[in-house]
Amino acid sequence: MKFRLFGIIGALSLLALLLLNDLAGGDWGRFGGGLGNLMVFFTESMWPPDWSVLEARSYPPCESRFEITCSVGYIGMVETLKIAFASTMLGFIGAIMLSPMAARNLQTVWISVPVRLLLSAVRSLPSLIWAIIFVIVIGFGPLSGVLAMTFYTIGYLGKLQYETFEGMDSGPLEAGRAMGLSSTSIAKDIVIPENSNHLLSQLIFMFEYNVRHGTVIGIVGAGGIGYHIINYLKFLQYDKVFALLILIFVVVILIDLISFFARSFVNDQGDVRRPTWMNMLLKKAKDQSSVE
Amino acid sequence: MSKQLLTLNRLVIGYDVPLSNPISLEVGQGEVIAVLGPSGIGKTTLLRTIANLVMPLGGATETYVDRKGGLGYIPQNLGLVRHATVAHNVALGAGVRMEWSFGMYAERKKRAIEALSAVGMADKASEPVRRLSGGQKRRVATARTLAQRPQLILADEFLSELDDANAAAVMAAVSPMINDGSSLIMVEHHEEHAVKYATRVWMLDEGHFSDMSVEQWLVYNQRGENE
Repeated sequence: MKFRLFGIIGALSLLALLLLNDLAGGDWGRFGGGLGNLMVFFTESMWPPDWSVLEARSYPPCESRFEITCSVGYIGMVETLKIAFASTMLGFIGAIMLSPMAARNLQTVWISVPVRLLLSAVRSLPSLIWAIIFVIVIGFGPLSGVLAMTFYTIGYLGKLQYETFEGMDSGPLEAGRAMGLSSTSIAKDIVIPENSNHLLSQLIFMFEYNVRHGTVIGIVGAGGIGYHIINYLKFLQYDKVFALLILIFVVVILIDLISFFARSFVNDQGDVRRPTWMNMLLKKAKDQSSVE
Repeated sequence: MSKQLLTLNRLVIGYDVPLSNPISLEVGQGEVIAVLGPSGIGKTTLLRTIANLVMPLGGATETYVDRKGGLGYIPQNLGLVRHATVAHNVALGAGVRMEWSFGMYAERKKRAIEALSAVGMADKASEPVRRLSGGQKRRVATARTLAQRPQLILADEFLSELDDANAAAVMAAVSPMINDGSSLIMVEHHEEHAVKYATRVWMLDEGHFSDMSVEQWLVYNQRGENE
């Protein structure tokens, strides 16, 4: 069994390599010197990152006590976080209303298939295309960004949610159904609380995704830090771009830490207090002092 | 004469292949029925077919209970919402027959706490179910059924995991409902529980279904042991 699984993975990997070779047209010589070029680009244009992006802009004059709040990096990042938060929450509300209707174990085919089709139609347009559409319809600015990412979030999160619901244990569903609960009540009182752990983790993942993606849709004029990145790219100021990329990286790591903390409230791991090295050292010190 | 709660009419259970001969019987009020038989023989399938969760291969089941809340089903894994609180789970049972109103939530909570007190779990009301032990979870599932007050209770492995004292406590909590006219059909593994609490036994063995009183089953069992 184990050999068969490895065999399948090996065969698929070989197929992937053959396809890659086909796509590259067999011309692997391009890699020669590629790394050198990258190093030259990195050392001459990107390094060191230009942290002036975290200093106050010369215009408009900064009236805040903290200079950093007037900087390009701060203003762009806060706007991106606002866009990401608003669109993630609006998208979550849209998705959680649709996904119980799309799950096959909760609804009949007559309801689940059309809702699935709707979700995949929304998802098939990348958020960048949604952003272009909304920029055309309502003009440049963060509102277009919020609407674009809300639509994409509904499609994407909706799919993650209904797949989670379909994988849930059938026991609570059967108990609820036999009891005579309505399908709304089953979704609201059984399915959503039972999957709260996954829903929360998907929500935070989507927020993180939207923060990262907010930079891309900023490029088409839908606001956020991406707008500043594209400006610096136009003027070949790669060191400033690099500083903003590091800023995004730090924010993404912070979101990951918050996710880890938030999920500990709703999963089994949060119930188990595993000993940490710090606790063990403290206990040892305490034991020692009591002996003395 | 007591009201009829369930009729099985030439019912054949199973998923693809029949697991029993056609079953025809009636269940009235105040009965406690133990479903016995070796594992994998179709006891759970019978329960799920009665609960309308599985289509029968033939025949029909008819329940004469309220459409909302008339039937209580406790699956083998209890069917509790693990990540929700104990009170939330019991409130599901309490609220199933209630019409929506602003006062409904308070009333539902009150009834949930009453049911939890009856099984000695009121102090755990705000605890998530996943933190409870197996025996405690079973008591919560019982409280959910008590709060729901169904006319027909279907319980899979209802007392199987419990020791004698806990089984007695669970049955003591359920017995007021039985006295009020509800009936309990429970799949059992422990034959001694069946002898102690049941009024009737359904035996499933090698595709053959038989419906008998506890006394008849004791004789049947004795004969089997002697052979």
